[in-house]
Amino acid sequence: MSLAPSEPAPATAAPAGRGTTDRPGRTRPDRRRLLTRTSVPYLLIMPAVLGFAIFKAYPIVASLWISLTTGNGAGRHFTGLDNYQRLLNDPLFWTALKNTALILVVQVPLMLGLALLVALGLDSTKVWLRPLWRLGVFVPSLTGLVAAGVMFSVILNRDAGLLNWVLSLFGIDRVNWLGSPFWARVGVVLVITWHYTGYNAVIYLAGLQGIPQELYEAAKVDGAGPVRRFVSLTLPQLRPILLLTVVLSTIGTLQLFDEPYVLTGGGPDNATLTVTMYLYNNGFKYFDFGYASALAYALALIVAVLGFLQVRLMGERK
Amino acid sequence: MSHQLSRRRLLQLATASVAGLGLTACGDNGSGSAGDDGDSGRITVWSWTTAAKGLRSVVPSFERDNPGIEVDVQDVGNPAIWDKITVGLASGGKGLADVLHIGVDYLPGYLDKFPDGIADLSRLGADTYEDAFAKGLWPTVMGKDKAAHALPWEVNPLGLFYRHDHFEKAGVDPDGIGDWNDMIAAGSKILDATGVRLLGLDKTGATQDMDFFQNLMQLQDVFYFDQDGKITLASPAAVEALTLIKRLNDAGLIADTAGQGTEKRLLGQGKLATYAEAAWAVEYLASTFPEQKGKWRSMQPPAAVPGGRRNAIVNSTYLAVSGSSTRRRAAWRFIEYALTEPARINRMFASGGVFPALKAAYDDPRFSAPHPFYGGQKVLKPFVASLSADARPTNFTGDYARALKFASDAQSQVLIKGADPADALKKAAEQLAQQTGRQQAV
Repeated sequence: MSLAPSEPAPATAAPAGRGTTDRPGRTRPDRRRLLTRTSVPYLLIMPAVLGFAIFKAYPIVASLWISLTTGNGAGRHFTGLDNYQRLLNDPLFWTALKNTALILVVQVPLMLGLALLVALGLDSTKVWLRPLWRLGVFVPSLTGLVAAGVMFSVILNRDAGLLNWVLSLFGIDRVNWLGSPFWARVGVVLVITWHYTGYNAVIYLAGLQGIPQELYEAAKVDGAGPVRRFVSLTLPQLRPILLLTVVLSTIGTLQLFDEPYVLTGGGPDNATLTVTMYLYNNGFKYFDFGYASALAYALALIVAVLGFLQVRLMGERK
Repeated sequence: MSHQLSRRRLLQLATASVAGLGLTACGDNGSGSAGDDGDSGRITVWSWTTAAKGLRSVVPSFERDNPGIEVDVQDVGNPAIWDKITVGLASGGKGLADVLHIGVDYLPGYLDKFPDGIADLSRLGADTYEDAFAKGLWPTVMGKDKAAHALPWEVNPLGLFYRHDHFEKAGVDPDGIGDWNDMIAAGSKILDATGVRLLGLDKTGATQDMDFFQNLMQLQDVFYFDQDGKITLASPAAVEALTLIKRLNDAGLIADTAGQGTEKRLLGQGKLATYAEAAWAVEYLASTFPEQKGKWRSMQPPAAVPGGRRNAIVNSTYLAVSGSSTRRRAAWRFIEYALTEPARINRMFASGGVFPALKAAYDDPRFSAPHPFYGGQKVLKPFVASLSADARPTNFTGDYARALKFASDAQSQVLIKGADPADALKKAAEQLAQQTGRQQAV
């Protein structure tokens, strides 16, 4: 047993007045078995492991079990894959999945493209007051998700909203932002894009600054124009970073909850219902924890498969 | 000292602690906190906003009359209170207050899904009050075990508030309105004469406020479920209700109140000619729009169909004791004290605006007093009268939240996408059946 010290640990603080400063670490190095070269790393990761075990591992395992059961708090009973079967026949689940996929396909490329452009701008040495712009671009991602949602629900209000007022200055008719299925989706895309573009831009900026200048100089010597340099040099060099942001954004979008919850409540007519929102409704509005857990597992599976595919398709090609 | 041994030991420890956690957690899930019938000590009460204020007003005299019991009324907020109660019940009663203020839209769900979560009050003597409350309420407090699990506090009989000035300008006589067909005709006249729309509805369904649709069904003695719990969302009465809403919309009489605060703003600007709401709105209108004093009146709600009934109970709220409370008897004593004595419940009505369900409370002169905001009309009287008329209990069931969602979707489809009411409700009822395993009533 190497964990417990074989005898009481030596007093590190000697009684005052004795005058002997006992430094056990030096005088008796082999007695302190708890802190060995091999155990210290484990002790250091222990808080993380414990946190993971309590707040992640246990819920992960427990919700798998719950997803195979039905019933209420005390009277759960095992029903096998019934919840998953019900899922496949549930039109709302498919609606939620379709909405999420639509946002994924439209919003993520849009946002990442925008973020890349912003990053290129911020990277340019010709731009004045660069730190200020960098801060400005990043600040939206510091806003709380719910706060952003509430803010946009005011901005997008049909009759009294800021955006419709601005549009009216250009003679454009009022848009029923949150009242029509199409515009409500646009509204949600708008909020997420506003919120996360800066965050991704800062990641790209770090990536851009990591590309050696010599490569660009060599490319210039070879006669490559700016577009060619961007396509053949910047993009390939950024590949790992691009992959990171694509995977993170995909996971984030699949778990989208706060913005549509605050902004549209999933409406109108489920146009902005996301899988996570539907999951929340089943758990906390309909008290159907078994079904909600099944939804969570279905979502986790989709995230895993998409993440795997993205890493395979965009990852290292050597 | 080998590297292997220490790693294995650590792994063992980690596994053991995780397994231990899992076991304790399972133990809690399985049995729930047993609770106890303690008769003294400090009890906590969860309620919200003005109702909490009302409850606090009876605490000093209760504590004086019941030495040994201290009461702490907490304003948890609505809707936050629902998440809080749900999470508490789901974790076997952990962290719940002793006394819970619960709405009729949640109570059956809690009783259904968490059979031991809400304490049996019949055992503590609640059955003596079976006939003390407005008709149709007692069945809603009964669990599957045929025991009472709550006492009614608030009841909201349906009314119809209207802008006297707009009606007069359009030459509409409110006494000539018997049902919603008359109301649609009146609404068009008012729109022509004043440019004001008849009523507001959240067309997008974001708030899932389906009270108006529900009221139109309740006026026909129908709801999402019948008394046996079968689905009636696609019944002829439901189709009738949604068709009425469609006709109102097609006639341009509905103002879209989607979005935070929109309805309040429209009311404040005088852009809605009626407010089809329940008794709680009496004081809401008077205190929110004091500058509109004298402009509002109230009337019995028009029938949904010609010759139909003109009274309905919109909703009600209750006080219950959590099953996990260790001071159930003390908690019951507080509920009994607060809800079964006319003077006290009327004091809470005065300070919190909660319309009492206790029948004896209506003898108080305030229920037949003229109200200055309503041009001296005895505004509370018809509400009380409608409660003593025959009222059917509404069966909310444990699947109300799901039914509400599908009904709200159907209404949005009709109002936004021009769907046919019968088709939309048929689809909604089918989805509701698929998701709940309930049958549709034939």
